[in-house]
Amino acid sequence: MPVKWLMHWQPNQGSTLSSQVLAEVCQCVEGFGAAAKDRKWRTTLTFYRPMARDSAAAPVSDVPRDLLGIALHDRPSAYFFILRHHRIILQADANVQLLMDKLQSYKARVVLHFEGSQYQLGDFQLRVGKCGPSMSETLRGIMMEVEYLPLSSIEKSRPIMEAFFDIWHETITKASLPGHFVISDSNFSDYGLQDYYSPQHTSLQYATCIAQLMSAGRS
Amino acid sequence: MMAQFQQSITAGTAVATTQSQDLMESNGEVSSQAPPKQVALAMERLASAARIIADIRLGADRLLEALLLSADDPQQSIDRVAQLLRKEDTSMRQHFNDLRGLGNQLEASGVLNGSTKLRGNSWGLHMPLVCPDGAVVAYAWKRQLAGQAGASAVDRTSFHHSFSMLWLLQMPIFKCDNSDNSYGYYEEYRLALKAFTDQKKRFFPHLEDEVSGDGEPENAKKWLDSQGSVRTRKADHKEKMSLFDVLKDLECEFPNIRIFTYQRLDWSKRASSLSSIVSENSDSFKNQSLNHSSYTSAGVSNVAAVDQAAVIELLVPFIFRAVVSLHPAGSITPDALAFFSTDEGGNYMHSRGVSVHHVFRHVTENADRALQYFLSVESNHSLTVLLRWICSHQTLFSKTCSKCGRLLRMDKSLALLLPPVHRAFWEMSAANSSQMKLAPDSVSAYHIGCSADEF
Repeated sequence: MPVKWLMHWQPNQGSTLSSQVLAEVCQCVEGFGAAAKDRKWRTTLTFYRPMARDSAAAPVSDVPRDLLGIALHDRPSAYFFILRHHRIILQADANVQLLMDKLQSYKARVVLHFEGSQYQLGDFQLRVGKCGPSMSETLRGIMMEVEYLPLSSIEKSRPIMEAFFDIWHETITKASLPGHFVISDSNFSDYGLQDYYSPQHTSLQYATCIAQLMSAGRS
Repeated sequence: MMAQFQQSITAGTAVATTQSQDLMESNGEVSSQAPPKQVALAMERLASAARIIADIRLGADRLLEALLLSADDPQQSIDRVAQLLRKEDTSMRQHFNDLRGLGNQLEASGVLNGSTKLRGNSWGLHMPLVCPDGAVVAYAWKRQLAGQAGASAVDRTSFHHSFSMLWLLQMPIFKCDNSDNSYGYYEEYRLALKAFTDQKKRFFPHLEDEVSGDGEPENAKKWLDSQGSVRTRKADHKEKMSLFDVLKDLECEFPNIRIFTYQRLDWSKRASSLSSIVSENSDSFKNQSLNHSSYTSAGVSNVAAVDQAAVIELLVPFIFRAVVSLHPAGSITPDALAFFSTDEGGNYMHSRGVSVHHVFRHVTENADRALQYFLSVESNHSLTVLLRWICSHQTLFSKTCSKCGRLLRMDKSLALLLPPVHRAFWEMSAANSSQMKLAPDSVSAYHIGCSADEF
């Protein structure tokens, strides 16, 4: 599977996040020569909380308190769970969400959407998106997904991605936008992930990205 | 002169008539024949088309020679040159007529159809013709021509323009009654010749000395530096290595590269199976790190298999997969090559196929030029040097451009961000690569825009 790198937007001190900034970022991408594709993309991230049971015969300590569920835009038939405390990534069928609803085992606490437009620039596929809660227009963050189609090895693609990031950084600086992109560096080996890229890597990157966006928003 | 024209036209018509008769026959035959017979017929016609095209190219060379003669010595009798040109003109017309007739036959038999013609690609066959032994023919023919022109489509067009301009300009001379009037057209000749020679220098630099010298073919060998010339002569006298030896040496030099050989049909099966392997992520990973039997463990079965090998696969795990075809099978004469991503799979993956990724498409385009270069400059060692040159691509995604120092560069004309896809094949020769002096890293890499000045 082609490698992907996620970047999140770090606004400058004092500047606010707005859809204007997002529009300007999209303009930069188009100025690059990237061709916009018709379809929009959307990845959904859900924070789950275990439901307290009345007849709590089973020990509750076994149940993970911190469960992240991710529905990726390029894997509609799968659903990924991340247990950050246990460093586990689990792949399940997309129907598992229905199952969880019926079993009432976990309740969705916060649901965040990453959505936006996608672009093709030769062998690169770029997705620029905003991050925000569902059913709401508020912008929690801006992020970008860069995919390089010919390569599947993370190590081998590192020089290419770094070179791309440098070129992209130059473009953003020239456009005088109030901020810059930061690569969401995830520690894949911590979760036992191999060098060969997979959807599990993408899920982990989204989890890292949201954590970094939230800390960026707080500061 | 006019009589000669008319003669050639009549000759052409006569040929066309006999060919149209053939056409009628073949039309009737085609519908009742079984496919293999059709394929064999089409194959035959394509082969004769290839021969006619070779004759045309020779005729073009002769025309060029005649023009250069006249350029060198304007005082020489212009009549002699005019005579030469006239002779060539007649034979060229004959060849073109034959070719046209063949084209009509191929069209009638369904090998060429209207939709491909509409795309303005009159000799482009989109379905490769596969022979009973698995050889891909028609595709090869087109690619070989393209490769031999040694240039991209745009360049080829300009090259052909200057050549056709040259050829057309010589027409006025035949309309004159005597040599006095022909001097008036001489200036146009010189201009057209200059344009053509410039283009020729650009695309066939190794032919420079060959023609401008005393015209002896030996001069082509002296194109390398004066020290190198002695070595190449010695190299010619050396015995030709076998395919097994070539691959064994390569494996010793590049232990991280996987080398496999296949018979033609076996490769087709492998290419199709790759597409199913690719869909399973974990299998692809295992597939690339799998330890296949190497050539260094000299088993008898290995040697026997190599004798009939028609396809060599070079796999650099996670970087690229190169497919080289040999013709004839088991020889050390490379025929075509193409680069693909290690994740690609499918029937389109063969030595004349095209990758879905832009970066590999451009690498393959450059590789066509490199192949023609090695075949013309290093006739006996072309495979060795070519394979070593292919191995130099293992740094495709990490080595910065030797000119601008960057890894990725936006090519404005193509609107693509590409790494340096041009590896300097002109820096490689059998002499310096066989002495192990040329490490893969030392071959210069250039972006498409950066290499234009270097080559």
